[in-house]
Amino acid sequence: MAERLSVSVISPERTVFEGVADMVVATAWDGEVGILRHHAPMLALLGEGELRIRAGTQEQRFFVAGGFLQVVDDRVTILSERAQAD
Amino acid sequence: MAKTREIRRRIRSIEKTRQITKTMEMIATSKLKRASDRVAAARPYAQRLAEVIGRLLDPELRERYPLLRQPVQQRRAAVILLTSNRGQAGAFNVNLTRETRTLLARLRQEGVEPELHVVGRKGIAFFRFHKVPAALTRTDITDRPTAADASSLVEPLVARFEAGEIDAVHVVYAQYRSALFTPPAVLTVLPIPEPADQQGGRALNYILSPSADEILNRLLPLYVRNMVYRALVETAAAEQGARRTAMKNATDNAGDVLDTLRRKYNRLRQAVITQEIAEIVGGAAALE
Repeated sequence: MAERLSVSVISPERTVFEGVADMVVATAWDGEVGILRHHAPMLALLGEGELRIRAGTQEQRFFVAGGFLQVVDDRVTILSERAQAD
Repeated sequence: MAKTREIRRRIRSIEKTRQITKTMEMIATSKLKRASDRVAAARPYAQRLAEVIGRLLDPELRERYPLLRQPVQQRRAAVILLTSNRGQAGAFNVNLTRETRTLLARLRQEGVEPELHVVGRKGIAFFRFHKVPAALTRTDITDRPTAADASSLVEPLVARFEAGEIDAVHVVYAQYRSALFTPPAVLTVLPIPEPADQQGGRALNYILSPSADEILNRLLPLYVRNMVYRALVETAAAEQGARRTAMKNATDNAGDVLDTLRRKYNRLRQAVITQEIAEIVGGAAALE
């Protein structure tokens, strides 16, 4: 299994982010969810809010509205019609 | 003499035409590059979305989702035609309008009343000329379509489909197979066709938040919008591809015409010189 999470943030127009991370925090429909390694497979609708992708001490922030988040085998995929770097 | 001047004028005129078509070819080439990049960039989203929906969807439960409802009897269908705002693209727009007419005729034959929505000046002009009324016409979608364009186009139709006012939505667009091959195609966006890829991913034990039902109800409209968005970007790329081909042919043709004209011009010029020499020689001979 992978050492770290591999994360992609994809909007209809382009891939907004693609890379590895230690932790992903997203705003789901009912509040924030944090994803670490070995997370169980999950599919969650997203609300409107911040998405933080942390790799080491670096943190990248995005604004995401709607769409969903999928976690399978340490792969985190975020699909949203509105996703942009903050 | 007048003849040579006439030919010279035509040569100059065709040289200018060739310059213009050559420039248009180069512009289309550079726009094509960017447009086909957008087609490629749209792929991951579409793939993942189809994958997830395929995974969640139980074909037995189709009837529970309004967007998947297969109407027992088709009465009204919306047809969205995507064409370009500009011409000079060879048979590009003609192919699309022809495909649309075939589709409209087929729907009528099946007893379905079609309702036409046209995007792009070329399609609008065609159907106005043929006196086919359109329910909606739009020219504001540029050759760089956005996801917002797609939603504004299809969202009212989704609502009307849910309300049962229309029973199907078809999109006529140009597939972007390659820069040289852009066949017209019909895509039925509503009721939503079965997402192609369903490789038994259902076995995965997901934590679903909220329930599968609610997730699907939210994702299905995304899927519809995305299909329309893909049709828009593919059509935009196909337009540039078709224009590049058309302008390349025009440039090549202008070159051929120029060759013929230059040959004709030189032959005529030589004939005139020969004749003048003959006249001088003849005149000198007459003096002796």
